[in-house]
Amino acid sequence: MERPDRGKSSRLLKNQPYDESLEVTDPEEVASVYSRGPVPTTGLCDGLQLPLSCQSESRRSRAGPGLMSANSSSDEFEDDHKLQKADQPGGSPDEEDEEDEEDSDEDTDDDDDEPGPAPEGAYDPAEYSSLPVSTEVKELFQYITRYTPQTIDLDHSLKPFIPDFIPAVGDIDAFLKVPRPDGKGDGLGLLVLDEPSVKQSDPTVLSLWLSEETKQHGATELKKVASVVSPQSNPRAVDSWVDSISALHRSKPPASVQYGRPMPDIDSLMQEWPAELEELLGRLQLPPARLDCSLTQYADLICSLLDIPVYGSRIQSLHLLFSLYLEFRDSQHFTRRAHT
Amino acid sequence: MLRILSRVKPAVGGETPVSLSEKKKKNKTKVPRLEEYLQQRDYLGALTLLEFQRSIGEKEEHADLWIGYCAFHLGDYKRAMEEYKSLTINPECPAEVWVYLACALFFLGLYKEAEDAASKAPMSPLQNRLLFHLAHKFNDEKRLMGFHQNLEDVTEDQLSLASIHYMRSHYQEAIDIYKRLLLQNRDFLALKVYVALCYYKLDYYDVSQEVLAVYLQSIPDSTIALNLKACNHFRLYNGKAAEAELKNLIDISSCSFEFAKELIRHNLVVFRGGEGALQVLPPLIDVIPEARLNLVIYYLRQDDVQEAYNLIQDLMPTTPQEYILKGVVNAALGQEIGSRDHLKIAQQFFQLVGGSASECDTIPGRQCMASCFFLLRQFEDVLIYLNSVKGYFYNDDTFNFNYAQAKAALGNYKEAEEVFLLIQSEKIKNDYIYLSWLARCYIMNQKCQLAWELYLKMGTSSDSFSLLQLIANDCYKMGQFYYAAKAFDALEKLDPESNYWEGKRGACVGIFQLILANKESKETLKEVVPLLRNSGNPQVEYIIRALRKWAKDNRVLLS
Repeated sequence: MERPDRGKSSRLLKNQPYDESLEVTDPEEVASVYSRGPVPTTGLCDGLQLPLSCQSESRRSRAGPGLMSANSSSDEFEDDHKLQKADQPGGSPDEEDEEDEEDSDEDTDDDDDEPGPAPEGAYDPAEYSSLPVSTEVKELFQYITRYTPQTIDLDHSLKPFIPDFIPAVGDIDAFLKVPRPDGKGDGLGLLVLDEPSVKQSDPTVLSLWLSEETKQHGATELKKVASVVSPQSNPRAVDSWVDSISALHRSKPPASVQYGRPMPDIDSLMQEWPAELEELLGRLQLPPARLDCSLTQYADLICSLLDIPVYGSRIQSLHLLFSLYLEFRDSQHFTRRAHT
Repeated sequence: MLRILSRVKPAVGGETPVSLSEKKKKNKTKVPRLEEYLQQRDYLGALTLLEFQRSIGEKEEHADLWIGYCAFHLGDYKRAMEEYKSLTINPECPAEVWVYLACALFFLGLYKEAEDAASKAPMSPLQNRLLFHLAHKFNDEKRLMGFHQNLEDVTEDQLSLASIHYMRSHYQEAIDIYKRLLLQNRDFLALKVYVALCYYKLDYYDVSQEVLAVYLQSIPDSTIALNLKACNHFRLYNGKAAEAELKNLIDISSCSFEFAKELIRHNLVVFRGGEGALQVLPPLIDVIPEARLNLVIYYLRQDDVQEAYNLIQDLMPTTPQEYILKGVVNAALGQEIGSRDHLKIAQQFFQLVGGSASECDTIPGRQCMASCFFLLRQFEDVLIYLNSVKGYFYNDDTFNFNYAQAKAALGNYKEAEEVFLLIQSEKIKNDYIYLSWLARCYIMNQKCQLAWELYLKMGTSSDSFSLLQLIANDCYKMGQFYYAAKAFDALEKLDPESNYWEGKRGACVGIFQLILANKESKETLKEVVPLLRNSGNPQVEYIIRALRKWAKDNRVLLS
């Protein structure tokens, strides 16, 4: 890529008066070309790319004079042009012959270590010099090289590489932690990470449950009922509250009834019968429901059989009776026995 | 791997009368003991129990200290601080409570207060560790070294030292400590997670993942570990994969779980490519260090360079990420407002990161070097660095924009044109830098018509005027006189005060020459005459006369 480029550019340099004239228009500019020269030759720049870089440098440096000549009138430009010609060896003020002399100038140019900036395919008047045209047209053609196109310096803009978003992983345990008050080791940060478990009790539910369990009602006035900010978007919070409250209710004994008279507790009622009775029951049938007696008499009968006292009204006794029934029904111990 | 629960000694002080029936009935839960909650790390449960006992007058021994302990490990440092503060008011308060208070203050970011509190505590390894970390926070190297010397070769002190290494980006040193301790005690599973964190920071995401898996196998619902897993997924795969991991964590945690909630919210924004950044990130700015950086990244992506600068200007960079981001913000702002100072800072930061041993071979490091040389306008060097990473950025508009500019600057117009045309972003495609360079590439590649079309699509503006000048002169240079003439003609109309005659004259004669050389259709001559007529120069008639003469001789009809 590089080689042919250079070959071409040096060839193209021939007969490019505008190009050459620019290079020396302003001595200051020329100096700046050299001062900038070393910049691209950093350690990272490999040899092959060096000529290219010089090209770009010199192209840029030409922008100044290019603009100047464009602003100047054509006459001024020609004066300029002639002046430079005179400065150069073999230069001739005769414009008509200019094309011929360019050949000799071109060589010195190459020696000046000024690689041609003309890109591939640039206009080359030499290509057209052999056109069979009248003198009048040939004169007309002079207008083409009379104008030197400006070298427009374009801006660059670095579009900065914006990094990806950065996730946070947190810091590492620095062992700046409070030990257990009882002096025992807790293994936090060693055996397990020192972080709370994802399953945390709901304080409201737990305190309700604690007061229920310890029968310390009112000791803790309900701290505060949490509210869910936007329930429609956060159904999980609502569901978990409903679940835990219903679990709490399930764990409660069925609405406790304060019996007016002393009653035995369920536990004692659940005790085994004496062995004789047990044996007897194996042989005897319990009084069936269709026994020829009133419902109240039947209730009294069953209660006495199960050691439940009856005082006047049977309501409280029956409550205890059914509580006892539920207790047996829900007991895993007895359900399992029933199945085997 | 959970330790066997020790229920030998009841931790509950006042034994609640447990009825006979409750002992018998297995399905009925009894009042749990504090120890059970602690073993489950259900600190909220433990706190509730302690408070309940306090309210009914059945006080645990050292109930206040237990409440402080639970609040602290729950991550509710404010609550812990309040608890310890009220304890220290009591004249009979044990002196070591001061260091507990200092720990809580430390995690609240109240470093000065933490130091005051720690100074009232008796000397202890914990106090030394705390002062060691405070010296790090205060950037007090001298004191840091002093407390470092007091560290002993015991597990806690060594782990504390390792965490300092981690914070100072000395990940390998930290890993060495963890591996040594793991050799001595294989039960210290938490250390696996610390090692995984270090590997994450070293960009070894798959290694991190492997080490992490060991911990997650025994504790599958660990917040810190699952979050790290999500972050590894983000780096290894994409935001979607990462979000799925976090979602899993959110689903298994109970509603009352507050720990690391901010971290999770923060990372959800990251994994969703910045969605919700403005709602979530600002309140987290001094809570999670990455939050500020991410907000800066968000503003940069929104092209709000000034906001990005406001957020980052006071940040003293310490990590490569911070240096890069400061460089990027300064580069963007410097170019926007034309400030050489900002560009200089940007270039220096890029050079620092790109030249550092740790970053020179990373993609961001290469990008930094390329940016540095771009700002220095050393495009051959820019290309060296961009070429080395271009495989990762095939469809990246930012990369292609910089890459094409560098190619074009070096005269490699063919490749530059191809790369410019890969760019999809409408914003870049409407940028004058893009338009002007693409037009130049077109012209240099002999596609002047495409360049002219770029001009036609632009509205009238100073940019379109500049583009015309570019087309006129570059086309002229390339001997593409038809479009040069059209461009000079347009310039003449737009700017009658200036003199474009010379260029237009040359271009029109150039068309004539091309026709004579059979490189342009004879028909084009018809367009030349009105172009010339548009100018009022006395030479017009002379040239037209010459053209007409030729046309007549060659039987070309000139209207």
